[in-house]
Amino acid sequence: MDLNLNRVDYLQVGVTSQKTMRLLPASGRKATQKVVIGDHDGVITCFGIKKGESVPVFKTLPGEKIARLELGGALNTLQEKIFVAAGSEVRGFTKKGKQFLSFNTNLTENIKAMHISGSDLFLGASYIYNHYCDCKDQHYYLSGDKINDVICLPVEKLSCITPILACQDRVLRVLQGSDLLYEMEVPGPPSVLALKNGDGGDSGEEVLFGTSDGNIGLVEITGVSPVDKWKIGNEKKRGGILCMDSFDILGDGVKELLIGRDDGMLEVYGFENSKSPVLRYEYTFSESVTSVQGGCVGKEGYDEIVASTYSGWVTGLTTEPIHRECGSGDGLKLSHDMQNKVLSLRNELEQLQIKVLQEREKYQQSSLSSTAVSAVPTFSINDKFTLNRDDASYSLVLEVQAAIDTVLLQCDVPIDLKDVDKNSAVVSVVDCESEPNGNFLLATYRCQANTTRLELKILSIEGRYGTLQAYVTPRVQPKTCQVRQYQIKPLSLHQRTHCIDRDRPMNTLTLKGQFSFAEVHSWVVFCLPEVPEKTPVGESISFYFQNTFLDTQLECTYRKGEGYFKSDNISTISILKDVLSKEATKRKINLNISCDINEVSVNHTLKLIHPKLEYQLMLAKKVELIDALKELQAHEGNTDFLIPEYRSILEEAEQLIQEHKKQPTSLERLYGMITDLFIDKYKFKGTNVKTKVPLLLEILGSYDQNTLLAFFDSAS
Amino acid sequence: MLVPVFTLKLSHKILPRMVALGKYDGVHPCLTAATQAGKVFIHNPHARSQRVNANRLVLSTQDADISLLNINEAVSCLTAGVLNPDLDCDSLLVGTRTSLLAYDVHNNADLFYAGVPDGANTIVLGTLGDMPSPLAIIGGNCSLQGFNHEGKDLFWTVTGDNVRSLALCDFDADGKKELLVGSEDFDIRVFKEDEIVAEMSETETVTSLTSMCSSHFGYALSNGTVGIYNRTSRYWRIKSKNQAMSIHAFDINSDGVCELITGWSSGKIDARSDRTGEVIFKDNFASSVAGIVEGDYRMDGNTQLICCSVDGEVRGYLPGSQESKGKLLDTSVDQDLIRELSQKKQNLLLELRNYEENAKQVELNTQVNEADGQKGVIPANTQLQTALSVNLGSDSESAHVELRISTSNDTIIRAVLIFAEGIFEGESHVIHPSLQNLSSCIRVPLTPPKDVPVELNIKAFVGYRNSTQFHVFELSRQLPRFSMYTLSSPDSAPGPLSFVRFTLNERVQMIVMWLKQSFLLPEDLEIQNVSFEVCFTSLRDAGQLWIKMTPGGEISINTDNVDLAGDIVQSMASFWAIEDLQVEADFPAYFEEMRKALVVVDNSHAVCQKLTANMADSSNLIRSVLVRAEDSRLMGDMKNMKRRYMELYDLNRDLLSQYKIRCSNHTELLNNLKAINQAIQRAGQLRVGKPKAQVIAACRDAIKNNSVNMLIKIMRVGTLSS
Repeated sequence: MDLNLNRVDYLQVGVTSQKTMRLLPASGRKATQKVVIGDHDGVITCFGIKKGESVPVFKTLPGEKIARLELGGALNTLQEKIFVAAGSEVRGFTKKGKQFLSFNTNLTENIKAMHISGSDLFLGASYIYNHYCDCKDQHYYLSGDKINDVICLPVEKLSCITPILACQDRVLRVLQGSDLLYEMEVPGPPSVLALKNGDGGDSGEEVLFGTSDGNIGLVEITGVSPVDKWKIGNEKKRGGILCMDSFDILGDGVKELLIGRDDGMLEVYGFENSKSPVLRYEYTFSESVTSVQGGCVGKEGYDEIVASTYSGWVTGLTTEPIHRECGSGDGLKLSHDMQNKVLSLRNELEQLQIKVLQEREKYQQSSLSSTAVSAVPTFSINDKFTLNRDDASYSLVLEVQAAIDTVLLQCDVPIDLKDVDKNSAVVSVVDCESEPNGNFLLATYRCQANTTRLELKILSIEGRYGTLQAYVTPRVQPKTCQVRQYQIKPLSLHQRTHCIDRDRPMNTLTLKGQFSFAEVHSWVVFCLPEVPEKTPVGESISFYFQNTFLDTQLECTYRKGEGYFKSDNISTISILKDVLSKEATKRKINLNISCDINEVSVNHTLKLIHPKLEYQLMLAKKVELIDALKELQAHEGNTDFLIPEYRSILEEAEQLIQEHKKQPTSLERLYGMITDLFIDKYKFKGTNVKTKVPLLLEILGSYDQNTLLAFFDSAS
Repeated sequence: MLVPVFTLKLSHKILPRMVALGKYDGVHPCLTAATQAGKVFIHNPHARSQRVNANRLVLSTQDADISLLNINEAVSCLTAGVLNPDLDCDSLLVGTRTSLLAYDVHNNADLFYAGVPDGANTIVLGTLGDMPSPLAIIGGNCSLQGFNHEGKDLFWTVTGDNVRSLALCDFDADGKKELLVGSEDFDIRVFKEDEIVAEMSETETVTSLTSMCSSHFGYALSNGTVGIYNRTSRYWRIKSKNQAMSIHAFDINSDGVCELITGWSSGKIDARSDRTGEVIFKDNFASSVAGIVEGDYRMDGNTQLICCSVDGEVRGYLPGSQESKGKLLDTSVDQDLIRELSQKKQNLLLELRNYEENAKQVELNTQVNEADGQKGVIPANTQLQTALSVNLGSDSESAHVELRISTSNDTIIRAVLIFAEGIFEGESHVIHPSLQNLSSCIRVPLTPPKDVPVELNIKAFVGYRNSTQFHVFELSRQLPRFSMYTLSSPDSAPGPLSFVRFTLNERVQMIVMWLKQSFLLPEDLEIQNVSFEVCFTSLRDAGQLWIKMTPGGEISINTDNVDLAGDIVQSMASFWAIEDLQVEADFPAYFEEMRKALVVVDNSHAVCQKLTANMADSSNLIRSVLVRAEDSRLMGDMKNMKRRYMELYDLNRDLLSQYKIRCSNHTELLNNLKAINQAIQRAGQLRVGKPKAQVIAACRDAIKNNSVNMLIKIMRVGTLSS
């Protein structure tokens, strides 16, 4: 069955956060539902739809930015009370808009996540989790990394309260009271949690999770251990998950899974015969989908998916067909309605225009006075700077509520910009070779009209660390621009993991000296991504990392006065050594750094690189052959005379070209890393082998594993 | 919503910009395109029976509908159409780097084969001006050549640089076609027969031109710009990060006006409204678009728009019917309109909020302090000042034009973005000082590579040292055409020997006005005399430029740079709207170079002939050696066979090395030919209007007669006055 949905835009409010729009349950005789949404201006808007027009039910006064909006009510009754989290406060409203609760949690951090079940309130601030019952503090937990979402298994089905935290360090933490029951690792930093079918499935223990790198999965949280049900990877390289819901939009009796992503994709997954879901429908919005829910809003009898986007649009994707045929009365009426809508909008615009002109004049006038100031309020930018595991590149996403005019990128270390197909902006990179100001990258992105979201890809080099700055100018008068800074860390290509292979040959860097636990933690934060900024509790801590490009690993264990860094990659250790000694000198701390180098590890790393290098070389070779082979094919008319190897190249030509296109710089990056490895190996021995690098590149040019291994051993 | 009415997947690659549609038997349309390995394929789905393998034409073994034409040389352009009006069928024209072939596909016979030493970069077929028969006009290295169906070249002229695109268009609406020429020096020139009637400067190599209805025409540049001109005024242009591979005029929505169809390197196809540039239809291919043609490919009486991708995918679209006008896109138009209006409303609301918040701030405090600075609060009377001046350079930097941008108070400039076309590598230049070098003044060095007026669009980010939000000041400045020349004192050096001399009936004040508009002059320059003399030095190569005017109105421009002299003459001519201008010119050094180039061309021709003879000898030898070697093999005489094959190997190697010599010889020849063509163009550029066309025609005759002295004399005095 094909799903055909039509888009209807209902209303625009202010900029919205993740999970801030819900549909109130239908009440009484009416079948249509009301929409309630909270925005960054602190306004809660509740509205219904009558004859295609939005009719407001209530609207609150502006206040602090609303981070979450949930529905609640006494257990086993209609969940129609509205709860919002703003700052450190939780407020409750009836469906008529009357405030009945204002609860100040006195948390030092702002509330980021909220879940409500009966009279139980679960809150997640940055690192703190709190459980309240009837606004009385019950339980408390301090998480090791930022809490992105919190949920509790349905109390109706299970007699006990089982809260689950989605934490930035790639784990789901299952709690019991104030204690950690167990944690489970998920494929990426989880950003959103939802109960399967809205009630946790048959057992009430099934929880859906979505990660900020676009994976989704289902786990069963049993009393003793988690059970993985299914996982869907992010093969199409789509955006991170922001919201989920279960709703039967197909009308086949099984609830489908609705997913909203931060690149504007809205997806519907169906569960047919198989246990794991199948993509049934997708729709592309131009900006992040912050909330999604299935229901019936626009017209009785027609189900729809309601979504809210970053800039505050509430949009329905309805099953109601849009009548287009001329002559049918319904169609004419519809277009009539449309015309009225357009007319009223135009009138509104005209009046606004006049008002804006007056204000603009006033503003111009003020520039003549010598005492007046010009203070344009800040606009909000939704940005995300993340490392992609599959191609070891950083993606920078910038989203602004108004259309973007230009973006200036500036960086003080060498990085490569990669083209993103989705971008329509015109890029211009300024030659920085003879730059007197220490810039390594200056690039302008001039966006096409109506671009509110820009995605960029960046390749960093480990060991070269600095700051990337983006100056974003939206198309709003008076023109202002905002600068955003992103750290490129020394070990920028490393990613947190939770398990490492202990059998590998390891090099160890030992750090000893008069430093506090907080100081050594700040150094680790400085060197490595994905480490929580807050100093961990306890005496000592261990973090594990994986190099996303080479799959080598790093183990950091440190406490007050000492630290151990173990890696099978000698370059990682070398970079750490340089950065740590530089940092310590800066703070005038006397550090004792010693390195225990395991010679075997170099060959081990080379062997790790080998399959990648060989694959890339083969790929490059094959791609080079394709055109020539195609010409032969055209000349001879068939491919029977070719050896099977060539024939298979011709057959796979398209995939090969695709693959090659995806990673054009992989080979150069690998060469760069092998060169670093070579230099670092001999650096630890006290020899400078920079003069031999051309020889090494020559060997790489006609690559053979054994020759390379021999060269690494012999050169000194 | 428009969907393709047919889709074909041809198993051949299609080279970009080399697609044509021809009715070679006068009835059945055939899609023709250049493919790899010097071949042209002809897709003929309508007449399957009557084809044979013969001569150039080979039936494809892969696909029954396709026949292949062997050109044996890389194809560089291709078109099809009526060349001989007496025949009632189309001819196929294929250009390569050295030749032009006119071919009758139906009869499988060559119509003519012409060697063109300047190469054929692009081709257009049609009638030009008053010429009676259709011409195949090819654009090569700085030259344009038109052949009729007998292979006679009836049209010849030169242009500023390598020709990249051609189109025939009724530019001045007189019912006759003019020739539009786009070249690598970023210019679009309009030739009324062999006289240039208009010249438009663009910002990159002009890669495609297409005639729209009446005097409109579309163009595409290599930097991803497409747009439409009406005569010399541009209606609109848009720039994309992708490159426009092919443009075509087609009425896709049946409203009686052609839309501009663009095929992009990303595989996108879009149709844009002629007047506004608004997209009214789009579709996507999996790979880059190779070409767009139109024709009745299904033979049902309707013309389709046919788009081909480089991978051989072909789609045909029927124009939308009258009723569905304006609804070619699948999203409903009303919804889009509402969304657009809402977006506008949102923008206005945001702006309003900006003013309101600003007003609140103003009430709160009137003194700017550091904390406010961080939020982007600056005094309201902050102004941005710009000044252009010439910087003579120092040891560390070369001479350049300096743009000084400064604020009027203690605010700093965090960064400056300058968007301008043609003077930077990309479209923009950025100055981003490091934190310790922040100040309220930024100097931007500019070195425009060409003498063209440039519009600088400046965006400056103004705030305080630790601001995270900055005010963006936007303004634009015009860079004068000859900004790279600085005024120097006339007696400092002897003037250049070369000169251009002509007489103008203009007052001195007018000349001074022109000077002020075209050069960066110091504010206090005063010239009152009836006769005057100014001297400039080039910042690029320190070359001298003297401009003198006598009381009699005779102006002489002394410079060794022919291009510069030409540019100045053209700039003056357009300033005073002079229609015809005859000048006297002498460039001894340059003419001497020309003389040498002509000698080299002669030598190259001789060498080429000799090498060709050698090659013929070698190939004969190879044939005989091969036969003997095979004989030996059949007789089992392995020793002799080995020896023969060794000989063969040596011969082959000789051939290869000879080929390399031929190649380098050919490149040298091409370069010199280009230099000569350019010289003729420059000689023309020194004159305006009729004299210009006359000089070019006379030069051509002199070259044909191989008379070097005549050529130089023409360049010197203009026409040969009998």
